[in-house]
Amino acid sequence: MKPRIAHLERRDPATQSEGVVAGYVQTSQRWPSQPLVRRPLTSSELTGPRELMRRLAPVRGDLAGHGAKRALGQLIHIRTRVVDEDGGPVPGAVVEVWHCNAAGKYIHPNDSNDAPADPNFYGAARMVAGDSGLVELRTIKPGAYPVPDTGGWWRPPHVHFSVWGRIWLSRLVTQMFFPGDPLNESDPILQAIRDADARNRCVAQLAPTAKGPQNALVYDYQIVVRGRRATPAL
Amino acid sequence: MKLIPTGEMTLGPFFPREFAQDASDLSVGAKGEVIEITGRVMQVDGRALDNVVLELWQADSRGRFDNPDFFGWGRAATDANGVYRFRTIKPGAYESRVPHINLLILYSGLMRQLQTTMFFELAKDPVLDAVPAHRRQLLVAQREGTVYRFDVRLRGKGETPFFDD
Repeated sequence: MKPRIAHLERRDPATQSEGVVAGYVQTSQRWPSQPLVRRPLTSSELTGPRELMRRLAPVRGDLAGHGAKRALGQLIHIRTRVVDEDGGPVPGAVVEVWHCNAAGKYIHPNDSNDAPADPNFYGAARMVAGDSGLVELRTIKPGAYPVPDTGGWWRPPHVHFSVWGRIWLSRLVTQMFFPGDPLNESDPILQAIRDADARNRCVAQLAPTAKGPQNALVYDYQIVVRGRRATPAL
Repeated sequence: MKLIPTGEMTLGPFFPREFAQDASDLSVGAKGEVIEITGRVMQVDGRALDNVVLELWQADSRGRFDNPDFFGWGRAATDANGVYRFRTIKPGAYESRVPHINLLILYSGLMRQLQTTMFFELAKDPVLDAVPAHRRQLLVAQREGTVYRFDVRLRGKGETPFFDD
């Protein structure tokens, strides 16, 4: 069985989150206390599901409602490009997105926040990247919300992403943030990535408004999944 | 140009229920011995965890990955009792590897994905051999007929070995 990528490099820990994070108590209840075991990589880890849509059906690519029944909040488009470590597009990458409504309420039975639900808002989408690795989502800008029992931690507006690359070890689950929000600076989840440049890459960029659609702000966001197509030259 | 992979972040507590449904049965139309893999996911104090997402990747009954006849990927979420359940076929051995099931765990409070591997018995295998000898048994499922029980203890006593890569 041929591995689907040529080369997999180890991650730089400074660009990845710590396992146990101050101010986020559940991390100390759930992250392993024993060191992670380094294993050799075989076909098992270096292959992955092709045509994931055989198992997971696409789910709407528009979270902002239909026609006159629009979700409340600032209309936005998120243009996400999925690339590999060489910067090449990953066509066919499956991308799942979910976030709360403009008032900070998720469509989920476990959300105890007393913010109102929005009947015209859809909380989740599943899409497939085209040949250029691009996925475009129309939605509304999510609100901030307080995290219960934390003494004042508010999550900044953010969008959850779940992405499949070419192999099992390319799998990526992350969150996208919005530029300029003061809550970004105190969010234990974003700040758990120590490297400032790596943190900044988790923040989307506002596209020039002159070129975009008349009624929506456009945010550009790039996701880099693990794997290189070619073995680097020595 | 070398780009750095995007930083992983937690799945959070509000992963859409609809995303975790209908992807846990890999056995439909597949050749091989149908088995069930089930277990409980627990945190440090032994409390079972609700809505933990587990993803699975495995070979077919002849040890082949990405075989058009068998789609070796699935996803399940734990219920209110912390129990997950996959229905699949028993994978075959290949090259240096004995039969095994790769599992990826995503959850609120896990800042990064956790990778582990379930084995059917203690045997010589390069990945199992990488685990300290006294912890290897923790990666072996307990068989009850066609059901293989594989509990996942994220942290604490009997902590499941997890892999870094």
